Amino acid sequence: MIAAQDRKLALWNIGVAYIAFLIGTLCGLLQVFIRNDALQLPSWLDYYQILTAHGVLLALIYTAFFIFAFFITGMSKSIGSFGPKVRLFSWIGFAVTTAGTVLATIMIVSGEASVLYTFYAPLKASGWYYVALALYVVGTWITSFALVGHYIVWKKKNKGQLSPLFAFMTITTIALWIIAGLGVVATVLFQYIPWAFGMVDTINVELSRSLFWYFGHPLVYFWLLPAYMAWYVVVPKLLGAKVFSDSLARLSFVLFILFSIPVGFHHQLTEPGISNFWKFLQVCLTFMVIIPSLMTAFSMFATFEIAGRKKGGKGLFGWFTKLPWKDVRFTSIFIAMAFFIPGGAGGIINASFQLNEVVHNTLWIVGHFHITVGTPVAMTFMGLTFWMIPYLTGRKFTKSMQKLGFIQVITWAIGMLLMSTSQHILGLLGAPRRTAYSGYNNHPSALEWFDGILTNHVTMAIGGSILFLSAMILIYIVVMSMFISPKAVREEDFVEFPMAESDKENTPKWLENWWIWIGIAFVLIIIAYAIPLSGMIHHAPPGSEGFRTW
Amino acid sequence: MSQKKQSTEVNLKGTLVSVFIIGIIIIAMWFAVYGMYVAR
Repeated sequence: MIAAQDRKLALWNIGVAYIAFLIGTLCGLLQVFIRNDALQLPSWLDYYQILTAHGVLLALIYTAFFIFAFFITGMSKSIGSFGPKVRLFSWIGFAVTTAGTVLATIMIVSGEASVLYTFYAPLKASGWYYVALALYVVGTWITSFALVGHYIVWKKKNKGQLSPLFAFMTITTIALWIIAGLGVVATVLFQYIPWAFGMVDTINVELSRSLFWYFGHPLVYFWLLPAYMAWYVVVPKLLGAKVFSDSLARLSFVLFILFSIPVGFHHQLTEPGISNFWKFLQVCLTFMVIIPSLMTAFSMFATFEIAGRKKGGKGLFGWFTKLPWKDVRFTSIFIAMAFFIPGGAGGIINASFQLNEVVHNTLWIVGHFHITVGTPVAMTFMGLTFWMIPYLTGRKFTKSMQKLGFIQVITWAIGMLLMSTSQHILGLLGAPRRTAYSGYNNHPSALEWFDGILTNHVTMAIGGSILFLSAMILIYIVVMSMFISPKAVREEDFVEFPMAESDKENTPKWLENWWIWIGIAFVLIIIAYAIPLSGMIHHAPPGSEGFRTW
Repeated sequence: MSQKKQSTEVNLKGTLVSVFIIGIIIIAMWFAVYGMYVAR
């Protein structure tokens, strides 16, 4: 077990994560019913407030706090207990991020920030909302630097050695997060805050959106890489195997630093303010991300096959039946991986320049992020939650909790399958995203969208309701494992952190040379962004005043 | 020597087929949406 003070830090992060998860999923349930015209909100609450809260609390807050809890736990286990300075700065980071979270939530609930999770200008929230966003990012940076400090201390003590795989992957993700955050901090500090507090009258909309997506796409990988860490490091241990290839795992992670940042324009393919050349360049760079993604898929299958064959699996797929399906820690993550196959394929479609026109402003995109961050990432985090909280509290992961865990992940999978399939098909038919319920004046084309078996209002509502039920089961498991489950006394009752061995004997040292990877990342960022962003600044159209549409 | 090496190598045929299946899913989904794009 790791040091008590490190456990406390991780548990507080998990606590905030699941408070955000509770409110965020409740907002999701409300949305499903409002979109079906089955629920009338009170006058002080509207659809866009709920939509903003759902996106912010789940995509930004739940993920970030959970990720840092995972990092803190894994770093303390893999490279040793935190020193006093690392601990202090981790707490400061936690406090600043929480302050940003509370302020942002107050602004959304009080109706001052119904600008959705992307906060696109010229929608204008209260200036305090943007201050909250800045606090959130800076808070996560402080925790990030604390973890980097811990890593540097280890490196100094172990000169010339490669760090353990978990620590390496944590630092890779943090490097990506810090570089990505520069974009959002720049736009919030220098564009949104002066504009929202009335220091300037107008805002350069195209620049603000571009800086947002400079951050927004690597944000996706900030969610995904910790899930990949679980896939690479935790899953093999659950199978009784080693990491398939330490070099492959490290190479795939550094490729994510290179190719997940200079690609934000693929979210802006329908925008007229960026020339086709720069869009095309970033589309090509986006496609490079497929390489480490497929390397990860290969590595996972290889781990499964090796472990399954060791347990007696014969034939082409006999190993599949030998996997530990009765272990919810594994099954949850396996379902998460399975969802990522159509999720990743959908991502390739979204980024395919012209094909983006088919799906861009439609419910397809909503379906897409529910089978990327909403299931592969979220369900991996659920699979980690099952053992991580008992590991940190020293309580048992009881048989009844394990059974509930199965019910939870299966209901989540069914609910998500119904809801996201419906959203994907509706999107292809043309149903828009980001909008509240509308009958479109009973236009026949719009009414036809909702006639299908999978695309009618009832199916969507059933999917959403099952998801909420699943979320509540998870909250119950979290509360039980945190406060109520019996304390482990016998040695076999203690829950372990499953961290697989990784053979780094043949791993080249240059894979951990940050100067190379961060250096190349900046070169690519400059190539992809310097000219188009400077064009947006030097040849800016007249800026826009703010709008409050709510 | 080469025979001995072969016998100790891990059998990853299932992995090969699995990643091909993923590739086929990606290509099938892509062409389905491409077909819609061309048809509209």
